[in-house]
Amino acid sequence: MKSTNSIKTNILWHRRLGLSIFIVLIFLAISGIALNHSPALKLNSIGLSNNWLLSWYGLEKPSINGLQLDNKWLYHDGNNLLYVDKKTVAPCSAPLLSGSKNEKILFALCADALLLLTTDGDLLESFTQLDGLPVNARAITAVDDSLYLLTDSAVLEFNSDSLAITPSSKTESTLLDTLVTFAPLPKVLEQHLEEQDSGPSISLETVILDLHSGRFFGQFGVLFIDIIGLLVCILSITGLLAWISRLRHVKQ
Amino acid sequence: MHNNLYTAVFFIGLLTSALLASSTVSAKGVFQSGPDFISEVFLEQGTQAEVQVQSKVLWLTDDIRQQAEKILDRPVQGLRIRYSRSADKTAWILEEIGKEMPITIGVVVDQNKIIKVKILAYRESRGGEVRFPAYMAQYNGATLTDRHRLDKSIDGITGATLSVWAVNKVAALALYYHSQAVNPKK
Repeated sequence: MKSTNSIKTNILWHRRLGLSIFIVLIFLAISGIALNHSPALKLNSIGLSNNWLLSWYGLEKPSINGLQLDNKWLYHDGNNLLYVDKKTVAPCSAPLLSGSKNEKILFALCADALLLLTTDGDLLESFTQLDGLPVNARAITAVDDSLYLLTDSAVLEFNSDSLAITPSSKTESTLLDTLVTFAPLPKVLEQHLEEQDSGPSISLETVILDLHSGRFFGQFGVLFIDIIGLLVCILSITGLLAWISRLRHVKQ
Repeated sequence: MHNNLYTAVFFIGLLTSALLASSTVSAKGVFQSGPDFISEVFLEQGTQAEVQVQSKVLWLTDDIRQQAEKILDRPVQGLRIRYSRSADKTAWILEEIGKEMPITIGVVVDQNKIIKVKILAYRESRGGEVRFPAYMAQYNGATLTDRHRLDKSIDGITGATLSVWAVNKVAALALYYHSQAVNPKK
């Protein structure tokens, strides 16, 4: 009689536990499978830029500024793309540091490359750090027919035909007034950028991983997943005990 | 006695693993800058004073772009391609995605034949074996077929298939660009 009661209690608790956590368990199983196959599913390349999600992760959509070069606006989406007016030009590592233009070419200095563009915004070529762009280049400016790159330690003259960089006798203070400064984008371009759904984003892989581990909800989320883990252990034990008890009961 | 032997085997195993791991890590990185590569390849044929190296551009006309896109099997960005030239010898620094990251590859062509291929920057976490000089030497002497492919069969590398394909494409593209730069009628 005692044995029958014990089996019933075991099964009762097993059911209660199972019912209370089965939804979480199914989610953990599916998210775990998704994470295991993340490269194949390309979860890392799916960006989520929902305002609520960004603010949950402590990211804000930056107010986008741009550089006005005559009648063209040169700006960056804060993620990986450079725009000239409404035209997507080329990948450009954030941030856009500086821009300038001469008669024929627009110059956009990104974090790791100097992009040479036509005045219509078509990419001519990229001049990267591997090609000889100084690592610490932070501004570019055009004075008369010459182009100057400002680095942390020197002013360098840049030849846009040969892409040669040579030391210059100019000083930074004499060139500061010639630098094009960032200004807020016109509303039309701001709207265009919003329509492109570009800007900072969080990969789907990160979100799933954080949900799977509970980190998405902070330390309480992690604690919750820990408790679920313990309950799964208890569930296994109660299940095993119920099975053994039933086996003994049947034998008796 | 046996314990000592096991300990020795364990530490040798550990050391081998560490060496293998370090060689895998060192496969990723920037190995040579573009200007250094250009200097190296044009200095090989003589002293610096004897070699007149010009920095030139190949404008991508519709025909050239179309063919380049066929070779790479993807759209080509930019309106012009920078290269260095001395007589009939040209050097190209081109990029192609291996699996996920771009590989920067230097290719030197002389008399429509590849005379050197070198990985200048490798950014993938695996497959870096492709940059070893013994492997790169396979490309030496390769020319372009009428179908714009390499006339030589290049051995594959297990675990670096996509990187090998990327180098093959870039080698063929450099040969094609060379033909257009040196003899545009072809």
